[in-house]
Amino acid sequence: VRGPRFRQLKIGAGHRLDVKASGVFVLGIGHGNKLLTDLYNCHLTKVYTVGGLFGKATDDFSDTGKLVEKTTFDHITREKLERILAVIQGTNRKALLMHSNIDMKTQEAYELAVRGLIRPMGKSPPIITAVRCLQFALPEFQLEIHCMHETQQYLRKIVHEIGLELKSSAVCTQVRRIRDGVFTLDDALLRTQWNLQSIQNAIWDCQLKVKAELEKTL
Amino acid sequence: RRGLAKPAGPRSVRQLREAEEAAPVFQYAGKAAKRKDRVFVWGFCYSGALGVPSFVKPDVGWKKPRRIQPTPYRLETEEKISSAACGYGFTLLSSNTTDITKVWGMGLNKDSQLGFQRSIRDQTKGYEYVLEPSPIPLPLEKPQQTRVLQVSCGRAHSLILTDSEGVFTMGNNSYGQCGRKVVEDETYSESHLIHQLKEFDSRVVQVVCGQDHSLFRTKKGAVYACGWGADGQTGLGHYNITSVPTKLRGDIAGVNIIQVSSYGDCCLAVSDEGDVFGWGNSEYLQLASVTETTQVNVPRHLPFKIGKIKEAACGGTGNIVLTEEGNVFVWGYGILGKGPNLTETAVPEMIPPSLFGWSVFNPDIRVAHVRCGLSQFAALTNRGELFVWGKNLRGCLGTGRMEDQYFPWRVTVPGEVVDVACGVDHMVSMVKSF
Repeated sequence: VRGPRFRQLKIGAGHRLDVKASGVFVLGIGHGNKLLTDLYNCHLTKVYTVGGLFGKATDDFSDTGKLVEKTTFDHITREKLERILAVIQGTNRKALLMHSNIDMKTQEAYELAVRGLIRPMGKSPPIITAVRCLQFALPEFQLEIHCMHETQQYLRKIVHEIGLELKSSAVCTQVRRIRDGVFTLDDALLRTQWNLQSIQNAIWDCQLKVKAELEKTL
Repeated sequence: RRGLAKPAGPRSVRQLREAEEAAPVFQYAGKAAKRKDRVFVWGFCYSGALGVPSFVKPDVGWKKPRRIQPTPYRLETEEKISSAACGYGFTLLSSNTTDITKVWGMGLNKDSQLGFQRSIRDQTKGYEYVLEPSPIPLPLEKPQQTRVLQVSCGRAHSLILTDSEGVFTMGNNSYGQCGRKVVEDETYSESHLIHQLKEFDSRVVQVVCGQDHSLFRTKKGAVYACGWGADGQTGLGHYNITSVPTKLRGDIAGVNIIQVSSYGDCCLAVSDEGDVFGWGNSEYLQLASVTETTQVNVPRHLPFKIGKIKEAACGGTGNIVLTEEGNVFVWGYGILGKGPNLTETAVPEMIPPSLFGWSVFNPDIRVAHVRCGLSQFAALTNRGELFVWGKNLRGCLGTGRMEDQYFPWRVTVPGEVVDVACGVDHMVSMVKSF
């Protein structure tokens, strides 16, 4: 953007997205930066589609790294994968309840647990709230992961650990964020749409959603 | 001529690919890799009921004995264990093999509830505490053909069910709970006596021990009882002890019962049509939906409108049932699983399925089995996850924490939980590895 009025423009970024990943990336402009910190304090979940490949293990858990080991993978079935995913969800659910710093003995803890609203409202290690297998075609598979306080490298590590649990190995081929709190793929602007008009429209559309979410949580 | 090796610069894509293809492929698990069966135990260790001798008598001098095992600990067994039962300070494990040794016991043996365990030091005496799974010799007629189907443990007695030789009982018989005549001033410790019960209307398919009474369910759907009856738990219409298994009548006469359950002084039975019947102690509102009296000595139908019931389990003060749709209902007194506010109810209350992991992403998670300890509940889902709640007596819930658990909490077990047996202060689970 050019012009005399747009010289001092502060842009802040939402949750980090590293070089090899893609997807929704939230930016705040000018006064919107204050909303960014509020959104961060809401601790909402982010959704990723993660693609993986069985049979290889690399040093940085992705398919462009240095090869460490190759293994067989023909014994892996969708059922075994889903079993491992269920275990991951179970242990993460426990971690969720423990890090949320709510006294387990109160009635309100029970109420929140029933509705699934218990969330860590402070700093916590990465927690996965839900995992689902979208596609499974040996040697490739695709997962949908809902998580909070994570980094993309953590997701790649999860793929690697899934491979280890299944007595084989796996690398991560793709990490794509499809949802960041309230912002989904539909709200996101493509590379071709990075011009002033569409940015303004996008901000208008999202304003209501952001306000509603902030009021609900804080 | 260039005799040096090529410089180690950044490798080209083609070189990388060639190196990858030349790398050796490791195989960790073949296509026919089998899943192993394991046994995990947790809870109070001092009585030896967990079967790990190093908890009570450490093998190294400087280690202190472990009083409580708060998380699941793997127990090595020689055979695949098909049935387990936890009593009051002791455990029985059984395998349905045709080998000579079919049942192992560990824990308290002051009333010979684990049979006679000959002491190594003194051949004439027996052990009072058995610290590791020791074989229990059964007086079988055909030891290499008969299989043990199920075991059950009460406060000081045990029942062993075989497929063709009836039921074997051992342990304390001061109230006739072993199904034989009460002998005055009998000493039960170091006794060799194992009684065999065969006279039922048809083959016995399930045995259940209450605190001081025994229940037998036969193939024809009838229920027999013997033992202590002061709370009416024998269901025979009186409050005296019974020393011979006698058939129950009342509301279950003529009804085909498919499951019975008991652990304290209250009993529940489920019929094939999905109705539930109860008798015994009702001081904690377990049967308050049909009667105001605190002891019920005849089986009464409990008219709950919660759907067809598949499985029921009785605890000391609370009861739990599982319906055909996979919903879990609790009632009674104590920590029932719906937060600290619900401490007693006479009418069953449902526990929301979201506490067992059900969500929009996992809509097909269902509870498959429910079990009761004295003041704890356990639920197994169809994905092999174990959820426990209730009073955390001496770490028996296995959550790793010492506090009571007011709503279902997942126990981390490395494997798929197939079955669990709950006792007073310890639990045993049979798990299939991944």
